[in-house]
Amino acid sequence: MSTTKTNATTPFADYRPMPGQYDECFGPDGWPRRAFVRLVDHINGLGRESLDTLVSEGLALVRESGITYNAIEEEGERTRPWELAFTPLVVHAEEWRVLEAGLAQRTRLLEAVLDDLLGPQRLLRERVIPPEVVLSSPEFLRPFHGLPKVGGVRLHVTATELARDATGQWQVIGDRTRAPSGLGYLVENRIITSRAYPELIHHSNVHRVAPFFMRLRQLFESLSPRLTPNPRVAILTPGQKSYRYFEDTFLARYLGYTLVQGRDLAVRGGRLNLKTLGGLVPIDVLWRHISDDQCDPLELAPDAIEGVTGLVQTARSGNVSIANGLGSKLAQTPALLPFLAAANRFLFGGELQLSTVETHWCGQPESLARVLSDLDRFVLRPAFAVRGDGLIRPLQMSAEARQELIGALRDRPQQYVAQAMTSRSTTPVWREGRMESWYVALRAFQIQTGQDVAVLPGGLVRVSPTPQGVENPHGSTQLGQDCWVISDGPVDQTSTLLPGEHVPLRFVRGGAELPSRVAENLFWLGRYSERAESIARVLRTTMLRLVGEQSVGDLPEMPRLIAALAAIGQIEPDYAVKELQGSLPSLDDALPASLYTIDQQRGLSPSVTALADKATAVRDRISLDAYRIVQQIAQELATPVRIRGRADTRSAINRLSRLITGLLAFSGIGQESFTRTLGWRFLQLGRRIERAWQTAEVLRATLVDPDERSVLEAVLEATDSLMTYRSRYLLRLEPDATIDLLVTDETNPRSIRFQLERIVEVLDPLPLEPDEVGTPYERRLAFELLHRVRMAQPATLAIAEPEQRRATLDHLLEVLTEGLPELSNAITARYLIHTLPSQSLTGQV
Amino acid sequence: MPESSCYRITHRTEYRYSDPVAICQNQVMLTPRELPRVRCHRTDVQILPAPGQCRSHADYFGNPVHTFAIETAHRDLSVTVASDVEVQAPRYPEPDQTAVWEGVRDAVLSGQDPDWYAAEEYRYPSAMVAVGAQFADYAAASFTPGRPILSAGLDLTRRIHADFRYDVTATKVDTLAEASFRLRAGVCQDFAHIQIACLRSLGLPARYVSGYLRTIPPPGKPRLVGADQSHAWASLYGGSQLGWVDLDPTNACVVATDHVPISIGRDYRDVAPMRGVVLGGGSPALTVRVDVVPVASFG
Repeated sequence: MSTTKTNATTPFADYRPMPGQYDECFGPDGWPRRAFVRLVDHINGLGRESLDTLVSEGLALVRESGITYNAIEEEGERTRPWELAFTPLVVHAEEWRVLEAGLAQRTRLLEAVLDDLLGPQRLLRERVIPPEVVLSSPEFLRPFHGLPKVGGVRLHVTATELARDATGQWQVIGDRTRAPSGLGYLVENRIITSRAYPELIHHSNVHRVAPFFMRLRQLFESLSPRLTPNPRVAILTPGQKSYRYFEDTFLARYLGYTLVQGRDLAVRGGRLNLKTLGGLVPIDVLWRHISDDQCDPLELAPDAIEGVTGLVQTARSGNVSIANGLGSKLAQTPALLPFLAAANRFLFGGELQLSTVETHWCGQPESLARVLSDLDRFVLRPAFAVRGDGLIRPLQMSAEARQELIGALRDRPQQYVAQAMTSRSTTPVWREGRMESWYVALRAFQIQTGQDVAVLPGGLVRVSPTPQGVENPHGSTQLGQDCWVISDGPVDQTSTLLPGEHVPLRFVRGGAELPSRVAENLFWLGRYSERAESIARVLRTTMLRLVGEQSVGDLPEMPRLIAALAAIGQIEPDYAVKELQGSLPSLDDALPASLYTIDQQRGLSPSVTALADKATAVRDRISLDAYRIVQQIAQELATPVRIRGRADTRSAINRLSRLITGLLAFSGIGQESFTRTLGWRFLQLGRRIERAWQTAEVLRATLVDPDERSVLEAVLEATDSLMTYRSRYLLRLEPDATIDLLVTDETNPRSIRFQLERIVEVLDPLPLEPDEVGTPYERRLAFELLHRVRMAQPATLAIAEPEQRRATLDHLLEVLTEGLPELSNAITARYLIHTLPSQSLTGQV
Repeated sequence: MPESSCYRITHRTEYRYSDPVAICQNQVMLTPRELPRVRCHRTDVQILPAPGQCRSHADYFGNPVHTFAIETAHRDLSVTVASDVEVQAPRYPEPDQTAVWEGVRDAVLSGQDPDWYAAEEYRYPSAMVAVGAQFADYAAASFTPGRPILSAGLDLTRRIHADFRYDVTATKVDTLAEASFRLRAGVCQDFAHIQIACLRSLGLPARYVSGYLRTIPPPGKPRLVGADQSHAWASLYGGSQLGWVDLDPTNACVVATDHVPISIGRDYRDVAPMRGVVLGGGSPALTVRVDVVPVASFG
């Protein structure tokens, strides 16, 4: 292996490590450190252009995978793509082993501390930890005291926030013991980075992260309170609005666990159950990603809606295994940090191998005095809770704010923890054609079993151009980075979670275990995708006529198409009234603009937004390809194309075409790559009901009045049936044949009858109450609508009465436009609304 | 004052719902805990309709808790707890003979008091009881420097009784000590919270006691059945010699054999007699009947 100092044209040529810090990549002599030698060589070998290409391809991959990060910002909650720095942080295994030992020791210590605090409290009685730190903490929730351990421990998965000081020593900034986030991003970072450097990662003996997840899975399975070969493990997520949601869906899919929210769960018969379409199914192990105080409205806060009523008692009885154990949040209390070394001496009789950054709890007078005497050297944090946004920096404060802070510190010193400002190491980050030196924060992860502690080789790295930028784990100026631990010799090559061949496989069919919430989301996913397609088709048909050779006034189909657009909710209903049209903006402006507006509640843009939203809600249930397609569809409408301030018709048509293609691809996946489980049935139901309803609305707006050829042609075009029509009747356009094809033809996948036949088929095998007698309401409704369409004669439907209206057709379509939403409501009432509103009772004194 | 009193207590809580309840999950804290001067001879919890699951455990503060769920549709729920309790009269020294209050405070703070840890928990603010200068200032008139602790505590109890208006419309079950202190009004729960806030604001451990008070009918009148009520008061830690002293600011007295303690916590929230989450139910109507019947003995 040759190591050259970088020459002038290579990416590392102008890399200048930040002075005064430890640089991860280059030693003080200007040569790459041992761990980084191969990487520096490799990147220099690539050259600047290839590196740029590699980064932009990688970023495209990130965007396509839909890796997002819900950052909670001040104006509301927003999703932004996860951003990655494509240079990994590399640590040599010899160095890592030291850190690993320190992390394992710390994990055991935190476990012992927590177990003591939730038990005998010797640490407080002996004043090893000031009792006030725990007893006055609002985070010490008494219902968790005395709960049994789970598989011999309370802290199953923990994380440690680390920084490396100027001398190269790793130091702990804080602990994460509640439900540490980041494992999902870590895997994504690894996948994307290894795609960027496939040969390099193979030849560098990088320790794999998959074995860690295999141990995690073994651990969860071992925790089951029931002796069963297939314990059901679920991840309890706070839900779609949470910053954790992307990661939770990823982990559910990666580990093969059911993703649940509080309202999917119910405690019945003293056990925790998942509410599914087929009834309740027991959950054995719950990987809890919601906060401790949110777990149970009965024993904790009555507004704890993320959890489930009765969970604490279920844990107390040992009927469900919750990881991390309830109450685990207490161990990450920042005010404990200064006392952990003493706790280790008290509990284990030795010193901590891994040091903690200088931290003071201001509730002790001598600590407060010390902090106040040298305030600029510290950052302050809330003493009892870990909060990303809770950091106070006296050094950057105005004189006035500073005085206020000093007042607050004197008034309520016990509320604050002061930490010496962290010195952080730097590492190279390729940014806009330059290799920059950015600050590093490392989050390491540990798994603890009753026997031992496993430390993940590597971790989640955040880098930022400023040291402040990496402090807040949700900060917006930072990038993620992969972390490689490399050995000189070969490492365990496991890089997939698929079980080995020796594991006997149990054949299963997906079935009734579909949470009602997921069924509901799939149902609406189907409805919105169909609604979007239907609107897009009518809109495209209309706009193609706007840009055609003939003047719009000469086209008899235009008023009908406008009426159809108004009927399906895309444009202001006033457009359908001739007399009012003059007072409205011209169609040339209004139609292209209507693509992007959210004014019409049932319009295209809100439907596409809702579609993307529903896809996110079920992203653990649909394939990555399907999810990607939906994201691309949503992208089409994200920014309007304007020419001289007006939305442009031609580019709007192009976008509609791309949108329709995307929606077709999405429905193709639904048809071809979705197993025929209950979930698929609800997707189908939503799709078929919406298509039948949209078609009925469009036909009612266009075909009830007798028509000229061009109207028939436009309607066939808008319903994607023109090609079928031509293949049958060539150029003869007749009303009865058109109505047959769109209403009564059981072979046309676009006809109303086709939809109703499918609805009846799909409804049939859905589960019913065991003691139910007779045909349930929603099935009767579906039968009735189908029956009416089956019995209708196309020739009769096409007859125009003396007063020139097709009354029979109108009546049939009216029955359909009223009956289909009713059918949707009936299905919702039976299957999708599973819970009554709950209320809290209190007694009185 | 009698050496001891025996009571047969019946506490019946009934919920009547306008709509059916599909399921309810509840916790009750209505059975008496054992205390140095309180013996529970018998306690019995009856729930109708009969729950599928009923488990009991002792909470963090040592109070018995019953947790149950009713998983069949119902429109009424009744919980009846019957307990036979014997209460011993406390033996307190003359209030002027008790330890100086600052000494009690400092011995807990420093850990020199051998029983400091049992009191430590109750020095800190809790969910419903904040501490602050307003409480400390109010308490300072009673807790003058060097005053014996029971003398000062009794004085504070009487002042709260005198300065605060008993008014069932002024506060609600979730009113915080700060609010009732500002209002200068409330019920026994608020008076107890205010007294606890005052004591904690001086650095003294104080806890919340829920229980019952025997009602003594006017001379010549019979005792009214079901007219008794739950009650609450404060308990002050008076040092290792004196131990916990229960003080009733609602009635301006030291607690003796007319009071029957049930549960102890930092404030009302720790000892709420009944908690529940129900699915459905519409608007519930709650009735509570309490009988505290003095009996000669439990022979």
